[in-house]
Amino acid sequence: MLDVALVLASAGCWLAGALASAVPRVPERLATGLGLLGSLLALGAALHLLTGGPASGLDFRVWGFPARLELDALSAAFLLPLHLVGGLGLIYGQRYWPAQLAWGSGRSLRFFYGLLVAAMTLLFLARHGLVFLVAWELMAVSAFFLVGTEHEKPEVRRASWVYLACTHTGTLLLTALVILLAQRSGGLLWTALPASTSPWLEGGILLLAVAGFGFKAGLLPLHFWLPSAHASAPSHVSAILSAVMLKTGIYGILRVSTLLPDVPRGVGGTLLALGALTALYGVGNALAQRDYKRLLAYSSIENLGIIAMGVGLGWTGRATRDPWLMALGFGGAIFHIWNHALFKSLLFYGAGALLHATGTRDMEALGGLARKMPRTALAVFPAVLAVAALPPFNAFLSEWFLYRGLFASLGRGYPWSAALGLVGLALAGGLAAVAFARFFGTLFLGSPRSELAHHAHDPVPSMVLPMAVLAGLCLAVGLGAFLLLPLLDRVIAVLAPGAPALLAAGLRADFHRLAAVELGLLILVALGFRWLRGPVDAIPAAAQADLPTWDCGYAAPVVRAQYTGSSFADAWAPVQPGLRARMPRLRGLFPGAASFRQAFREPFGEVFLEPRLARLVERLLRFRRLQPGHLPVYLLYVLLTLLGILVWMLVRGRLLG
Amino acid sequence: MLPDLLIALTMLSNFSLVATSRVSKAIQFAVLQGVLLGLMPLAMGLGRHFHIVLLAFAAVAVKGWFIPFLFRRALKQVHIQREVDPYIGYTVSLMLCALGTGLSLLLAHNLPLKPGTEYALMVPASLATLFTGFLLLVSRRKALTQVVGYLVLENGIYLFGLLLVEDMPALVEAGILLDLFVGIFVMGIVINHIRVAFDSTDTRHLAELKD
Repeated sequence: MLDVALVLASAGCWLAGALASAVPRVPERLATGLGLLGSLLALGAALHLLTGGPASGLDFRVWGFPARLELDALSAAFLLPLHLVGGLGLIYGQRYWPAQLAWGSGRSLRFFYGLLVAAMTLLFLARHGLVFLVAWELMAVSAFFLVGTEHEKPEVRRASWVYLACTHTGTLLLTALVILLAQRSGGLLWTALPASTSPWLEGGILLLAVAGFGFKAGLLPLHFWLPSAHASAPSHVSAILSAVMLKTGIYGILRVSTLLPDVPRGVGGTLLALGALTALYGVGNALAQRDYKRLLAYSSIENLGIIAMGVGLGWTGRATRDPWLMALGFGGAIFHIWNHALFKSLLFYGAGALLHATGTRDMEALGGLARKMPRTALAVFPAVLAVAALPPFNAFLSEWFLYRGLFASLGRGYPWSAALGLVGLALAGGLAAVAFARFFGTLFLGSPRSELAHHAHDPVPSMVLPMAVLAGLCLAVGLGAFLLLPLLDRVIAVLAPGAPALLAAGLRADFHRLAAVELGLLILVALGFRWLRGPVDAIPAAAQADLPTWDCGYAAPVVRAQYTGSSFADAWAPVQPGLRARMPRLRGLFPGAASFRQAFREPFGEVFLEPRLARLVERLLRFRRLQPGHLPVYLLYVLLTLLGILVWMLVRGRLLG
Repeated sequence: MLPDLLIALTMLSNFSLVATSRVSKAIQFAVLQGVLLGLMPLAMGLGRHFHIVLLAFAAVAVKGWFIPFLFRRALKQVHIQREVDPYIGYTVSLMLCALGTGLSLLLAHNLPLKPGTEYALMVPASLATLFTGFLLLVSRRKALTQVVGYLVLENGIYLFGLLLVEDMPALVEAGILLDLFVGIFVMGIVINHIRVAFDSTDTRHLAELKD
């Protein structure tokens, strides 16, 4: 009771903060303080629940119908990243997007940011179809306004409209889902459904959930709104969109699956395969991006694919009553949700710092920023290692869960999806390492590629602080993961009723050993670094300033001679489906001047969907003639409809007997 | 006996409405129809219910006094010509109205009625009035004559509502009256705005607003 009240109070704080920031002359400090207070309340409640507090609920009535808010371990698992990233983003946004900007965009940004966090908090508590849909729409609409913050730019407007259309299509499916659930359970309250005789119904509900929530989670054919929306939004908004809002899709899928008495066997394998394809697709396109925020967005698609693989694995375990598969699959998914929230918001904050300092999102215009922005580079580096799933950082462990689960299921006779999952996960991990080597190398190493990078500087402390906190958490979670195992066990108990708490008992020893090895490695790296660094420190500081970052045998390298991001990623061109290059054929001993052009188009959204939609619109335009603008004609339509209905009532009795 | 007479008069006034070529005549017929229907509950012998009497008085007051008052003001303000100016000729309108009345008789014959309804003519009359209102709305060009059509349409709905008057009187009638009032009010404003914007009240000009 206390916990759910605390979380509700937190949503109230965020809402009050949002309203306060919308009113002029209210000091910004007040609004920020309210938001941070809300975050602390919710974090406290969620942690209390995950470390052993009982699940608590609140029953009330909406227009005479019973409704329920409930805080259980699954909700708490999602509230944790929401309020961590939400609070840090609030601090970050103070100086990143000052309130006094033109067009009042600063004010509307703060308002919708608070509304978004409050709506998502409500969403994670709702156990009533209607309340859930209302919170879902509130979230979707505030995200639309957040994406469109810079609405004076046409590409931003376009991105936000595409997002709105996609999210509403998803809501349409979700409405159908809510109605279906209500028909099954006899009310809008979300309670466990009775066991059914046909697995088709449960499969249908799950597939509808995957399709409806998949729009939000960016699963493969439904992802196309995501890159441009994330690239267009202000960076701390991109962070919360990527770190939490995409995960509401996963939350919905998981929540609906907890209502079902059973999960049909095929669904888990299908979701696993879909997740693997999504991960590969996301990372392949991430490799092809020049826009570093778009790169991060595609990497989010990859990570959501990995999370979906975990959910699929957990469902397979639930269908076959295999406790280890459930534990590893669901545990890996939830753990990866936390980890992705940590490192992806860190990366987006870093990207925001770069954008703030240089004003461009083009990687090829930057370079050598580690010298100009040392703090940013240092803070972003752990996230780059984490996203590539390298130890000792956090994402390594969550992917390790999945690897163990996939190998286990390979041994237990569900081979096709597990094999595909293993290959997909390994390939995605390797390609992510390449993509982020490119990201870090092109942006922070080498020499500046244009004037823009020359005047870059580290951001103010209020922007560095959130990055430092997240970087510290990335490392701390990587080393102290054994502390999180009991928390994950509690979440798994919600997702798979009756599953024993396996993770804490079974993996603790492994995690201790891993942490020890990682600590040893860290110490080795630190020693090696000191050893390598020794001779450099011997060179006088005045001479150091002139040395290039990376000499590689060239005495006097020019800027244009270094690798560009695109040339670095060129070797992996076959996995970049959206990249088109145009290169003229060079003939003769002395060919004339020629130019090489490379362009990226989103393979599904822009190449496949856009021309078809344009054709559809052209066809639908013919119906414009039905709308002549004369009032009597519209009234005539009403009259004809009325007549039609009446005549139908006349003949119905005769026709149908 | 008396209700049947009133209903017959209502149906007759439908025909007069579509056949008249003068705006002021059309308004007068619509007002007459409204007053006739306002008296219906009393004629049906429902005078023993106080609230029904009250609502009947309200209906007569609104339809017999307030709405004509609004019409007169609008006529004075916008200087409309007297011609009704229809899309469809008067003869054709009359035939369509007759067709609608016939159809509604046919329909009412086939509609299941609440057992114990005494006035068999009420349903066909209300449907016929509805059709007449629609016909006026669709076929007349001026904004003011369209308001007349709207008024007739509402009369039809009112007549239909009388079937239920004993079961849910306040709800039905207050709803209808409020609806009518708001409708006329809004259309009055619209008429004025059309005149200001286009210097005429011909609704054809509204097509220019199409995007």
